[in-house]
Amino acid sequence: MLAGIDYFIVIAYIVGMLLLGLYFKKFVNNSEDYFLGGKSLPFWAIGMSIVVSDIGALDFVGVSGQAYRYGVAVGNFDWVGSVPAMLLAAFIFIPYFWRGGMYTIPEYLGRRYNKSVRTIASATWILFFALDLGVLFWASAVLLNVLMGWPIWISILSTAGVVGLYTYFGGITAVIMTDVVQMIIMFIGGFALVFLSLDAVGGWENLVEKVNTMGPEYRSHFDIIQPVDTTSPFPWTGILFGLTFVMANAYMIGNQSIVQRCLTAKNEWHAKASMIFGSALKMFIPILVLFPGLMAVVVHPDLADGDQALPMMIKSILPPGLVGLMFAAFFAGLMSSVDSLLNSTATLFTKDIYEPFIKKDGDDKHYLKVGRITTLVLLIIGVATAPISSDFPGIYVAIQTFMSYFQGPLFAILILGIFWKRTTQWGGLSALVIGIGFAIFLNVFKTEFFTIEDPFLYISWWSFLLGFIINVVVSLMTKKHTALELEGLVFSARILTKSKT
Amino acid sequence: MLNFDWLSGISQETAKLIFFSLYLLIGVLVLLLPDEYVYEGIPKENRHWWNNLKLWSWTVLAILAVVYYQF
Repeated sequence: MLAGIDYFIVIAYIVGMLLLGLYFKKFVNNSEDYFLGGKSLPFWAIGMSIVVSDIGALDFVGVSGQAYRYGVAVGNFDWVGSVPAMLLAAFIFIPYFWRGGMYTIPEYLGRRYNKSVRTIASATWILFFALDLGVLFWASAVLLNVLMGWPIWISILSTAGVVGLYTYFGGITAVIMTDVVQMIIMFIGGFALVFLSLDAVGGWENLVEKVNTMGPEYRSHFDIIQPVDTTSPFPWTGILFGLTFVMANAYMIGNQSIVQRCLTAKNEWHAKASMIFGSALKMFIPILVLFPGLMAVVVHPDLADGDQALPMMIKSILPPGLVGLMFAAFFAGLMSSVDSLLNSTATLFTKDIYEPFIKKDGDDKHYLKVGRITTLVLLIIGVATAPISSDFPGIYVAIQTFMSYFQGPLFAILILGIFWKRTTQWGGLSALVIGIGFAIFLNVFKTEFFTIEDPFLYISWWSFLLGFIINVVVSLMTKKHTALELEGLVFSARILTKSKT
Repeated sequence: MLNFDWLSGISQETAKLIFFSLYLLIGVLVLLLPDEYVYEGIPKENRHWWNNLKLWSWTVLAILAVVYYQF
């Protein structure tokens, strides 16, 4: 339970975030301000926002739980699972999207392929984000329940109220600037927990020695590279093929909530720099989210559920005051993820669904209004779907499972779309539909095909490969696009040598 | 086949070398980018070495390599 000073810190944080977010309401005058921050933001704010949106509450609870069960191998997601993909995004994809003045990734797919590809990709992201919202709300409830004894629904509704208010009024500028403060608080709270936990277990060397002597299931807890025949979800082949080559790229290049931030940059250098700066900050994330889980192996060795590792560490290690700060850090992670999803989904719906299909010739104020109403509707959906998350054994794995359905096929059409001019609309559409279907098939029958515990990394790789092959084959059999149709949409060495295409 | 069991003969040490090679390859590709492209968006008179995104990229890749060497 929290002490008086902890309550003060938490409440001051929540009120501060609300006021800061609402301050940016005055900068929102049109839909570009609401969805792209008027293209005026600096790299450091965007980079910090990318990181804090990505880490979120899921990582605090879920990754600690995974580290408790499987060790440092889960750190691959923030290390090799981020840096190569973010560099590729920074130097190849982001400049194309930024120069093209795009709002959404499906918008690029629509220009490169056709309207159907755009709609399927957008609808899939909207579905994923809506489910993701529910998972995030549930993650908050788990921590609040352990720490403060709050009923599940009270915690879900209070989170939705605060985040919803500033996202509704301030748009992406409010989202990014509150993210900056949230990231600083997360880092302070996270590092405080790591240092005190490390002290509690007698230092790093003592931790390694104790964990290694706890039994055979802990012997590989400090091996970042796991063998192919491991039963954990992280064999090195899955990390290399599924994570590094597919999921990481799909996430950093094809994820609306990540890329949309870069599109708010004031110029192309800031857009590129935001991704690279973000990748540098991402290096520290495993220290904050993974190490507490590892240390919980020593401090609380008999936890039935790994997701309880972090809450139990906070409860047993941190003194009054720091508990409140850590809770504020957790809340920061949660809020930043929720506000990102709300704004990005509102952008996807308004730009890819509402504008092309429902009202083509509305004025700008109308689309601003639609974006805000969508934000409200999403909040309601997120709150209503939160209990579904309790049916999954690990919160983090649950979200990866949702993503693995379409990350592979989506990346296949993105990479071929930008690098191969022969790719056609029918190739892209077939790859997306069949690839997603194949990923769902593999997931449904995963016990028949795979030997590891949760094969989402393998599913993403094989569905990517099938999507890639189908895209190539169908494209070669169908009519190619004209040079005029592809102008500014396919990678050319000219982009590297000419300042603007 | 779907489980990559055909790669089970590769040791964890060799697998780690594969990851190091990947970082090196990315670093080399970054170096090949023209300076003009890397600085795009900054006026010529305001370009400094600390704005060079190649340097940023190499720093990040170096930290990544150290982490994988450590574990």
